[in-house]
Amino acid sequence: MAENKKVLVIGGGFSGLTAAVETAEAGSDVIIVEKTPFFGGRVTQLNKYFPKLCPPNCGLEINFKRIKNSGDVTFHMMAEVEKVTGQEGNFEVTIKVKPRYVNDKCVGCNACAEACPVEMPNEFNFGMDKTKAAYITHNQAFPFVYAIDDRFCKGKACGKCAEACKYDAIDLDMKPQTVTVNVGSIILASGWDPYDVTKLDNLGAGNIKNVITNMQMERLASPNGPTGGKILRPSDGKEPKSIAFVQCAGSRDENHLPYCSFICCMASLKQATYLREQYPDSTASIFYIDIRTPGRYEQFYWKVKEDPNVSLIKGKIARITEDPATGNPIIEAEDILQGKKIKQAFDMVVLATGMVPSTSSSKIPVQVSYTPEGFVMPATLMKGVYAVGTLKSPVDVAKSVQDATGVAIKSIQSVRR
Amino acid sequence: MTEQIKPDLNFINSVINAGGESLKKCYQCSTCTVVCNVTPDDKPFPRKEMVQAQWGMKDKLFGNPDIWLCHQCSDCTAYCPRGAKPGEVLGAIRKLSIEEFSVPGFLARMVNQPKFLLVLLAAPVLLYTLIIASQGFFTDGVPTENGKIVFGKFLFSLYYVDTVFTAAALFAVFSLYLGVTKYWRAMAAANGGVSSGDFGKALSDTFMDILGHNRFKKCEVTKDRATAHMLVFYSFIGLFITTILAFARVIPEYIHHLHLSEGIDVHMLDWLAYIYKPIGNVSAAALVLGIFLMMSNRFKNQGKAGLGSYYDWLFISLVAGVGISGLLAQFLRMANTVAAYPTYVAHLCLVFFLFAYAPFSKMAHMAYRTTALVYSRQTGRDTGN
Repeated sequence: MAENKKVLVIGGGFSGLTAAVETAEAGSDVIIVEKTPFFGGRVTQLNKYFPKLCPPNCGLEINFKRIKNSGDVTFHMMAEVEKVTGQEGNFEVTIKVKPRYVNDKCVGCNACAEACPVEMPNEFNFGMDKTKAAYITHNQAFPFVYAIDDRFCKGKACGKCAEACKYDAIDLDMKPQTVTVNVGSIILASGWDPYDVTKLDNLGAGNIKNVITNMQMERLASPNGPTGGKILRPSDGKEPKSIAFVQCAGSRDENHLPYCSFICCMASLKQATYLREQYPDSTASIFYIDIRTPGRYEQFYWKVKEDPNVSLIKGKIARITEDPATGNPIIEAEDILQGKKIKQAFDMVVLATGMVPSTSSSKIPVQVSYTPEGFVMPATLMKGVYAVGTLKSPVDVAKSVQDATGVAIKSIQSVRR
Repeated sequence: MTEQIKPDLNFINSVINAGGESLKKCYQCSTCTVVCNVTPDDKPFPRKEMVQAQWGMKDKLFGNPDIWLCHQCSDCTAYCPRGAKPGEVLGAIRKLSIEEFSVPGFLARMVNQPKFLLVLLAAPVLLYTLIIASQGFFTDGVPTENGKIVFGKFLFSLYYVDTVFTAAALFAVFSLYLGVTKYWRAMAAANGGVSSGDFGKALSDTFMDILGHNRFKKCEVTKDRATAHMLVFYSFIGLFITTILAFARVIPEYIHHLHLSEGIDVHMLDWLAYIYKPIGNVSAAALVLGIFLMMSNRFKNQGKAGLGSYYDWLFISLVAGVGISGLLAQFLRMANTVAAYPTYVAHLCLVFFLFAYAPFSKMAHMAYRTTALVYSRQTGRDTGN
């Protein structure tokens, strides 16, 4: 029998949460380590899931509730794993926890944010708006405890938040902590990052205001996003009536990501429905190499295609410039089926940027090999360590959840051997 | 409209073997046509050429001016998401199209293959060995003029040089003429007849484009190529003028020698040397500099544009060889070293190679590309924008 029956989950996104609650409900103690102050990962940033078009809180909320109800899940927020030693059944894990500067007495009253004089780019909204250095990402964040970003906070010299807090919840003296835990198994679920658009020099390299990424589009359309859910273009707040979607913006491209990112076609089709619902006279033009809607997603593709204001044009957009007078992005592509080069202005352009495994930039301190793109090669993981979802290959939420459930069983086996 | 396609497998393989190894990687996303600054918007290249080549549609490719509108900027190759290198594939197709149209075709096939290099080189080498042997230079030594090396003395005045090169040049011009007329007819056939456009204007617009290197200048990834090509291009013109004037200078000598006019002053046109020698030297220097830049550009851009094929490098090496051996022969002659003679003969052999095989080597691009550009101007395919 393993000396230690606990399971460590690295990453508190949908995969990590699923793996954690499934493992805990089967009777093992679980520790979650999450890098940010809040759970939910990329899914929290979405407006809707495909193909059912329901909001991400259905699903997330259930998992949050399961964590709250289960006495077997503990978690470290704003934490990262620094060191792992030992073997299956008995790992010693060193975790570095950054100070949140807000304790559990927080009731989420927003007084600290109101008092805070410092503004910073809102990373949760991909920099499309500003937030205070004392902040919470959105009104359904979990845990519902504010956090203070010390890259921007002026500390005790300012102290306005602490003065404003009636609950004694702010502690600007908090220090980083190092925690050591012993676990029998480790689940890696640190997820993915959107591809860096500054590398796409022919698509504006992030310098054209009205060219946004698909993840930014999710935030724009989300009720808890920077515009309260109204799709408005960044340069002037105008309602965009024509949007071009650039499929494979970096994906399936050996100069960038030499793989299909799996979700982008469905994401763009989904986002076309966001636009069409908000503005009945709008048009969505999806420029593609191949539309890839695997399995039963094909039906979603058919459904969106029925809308006469959604056009699908075969031909990759390979150049975007900006009309300086209007701020309209001008796209260039060949309409392959017509054999004609198109140069056309749109109100806004959405780049269907792909998925990069988080392990491409930050490696996990366990023994493992990676593909050249940074994906975990599962067969090379040491015994007792398992990787989930987008760490291994680009997948959608549904497949991540299935994978996480499977991995929960594996980790339980590891701690019971 | 349906069209039955019968893939020409041999042709597909010949494109692959001619430097288009990456052909099959293309997945028709059309990034290439978008980043290309020299393609027309209607039926743009090179995506359509890539699919035509993948399907072995030889006639569509060869009866098409587009393969020559392409100046191999390699913007397409740099941005190609699949490493299919459209620039290199079109280069291979151009080579095959020269092979298709040039007369006699067997020479083109020889020029395209490294295994025939020595055979091709043997022709001028043997020719000059025979000439030199017939003059007795091998046994009696080389003549000098009061102890000074004079190339004119060496090869029996310049008769052997002039006759050999006049013959080689006439052959090349005639062969190129036959080749480009075949190409013109193929384009007309593929496009349903001869265009009624203004041929004279098409011709003059094309020459202005070429003189200004207007298309070259639209390249982005390999933008340095315009300068290098311009140096080589204008130095060829300079060397052509030099050759004409040098030939003119010895005309009185020919007249005298052939007893056409007994009293003629054979030195009456010697003053021409003051004109053509500076032109020749400056051109030779520009040629060597230009070709050196071309080589260094190719190495510099090989990651994005590819290094090029045997066909490209044969031509580059030949031009470099001609320039270097020419300058070297002159310096050695001025230094009054006997080594000047073999260097001069090597130079002549290289020039022969360049001239006589011009219709089949990459040198032929000047005729085929000009033809395609004129055709495109006349038919309105190319408006110069």
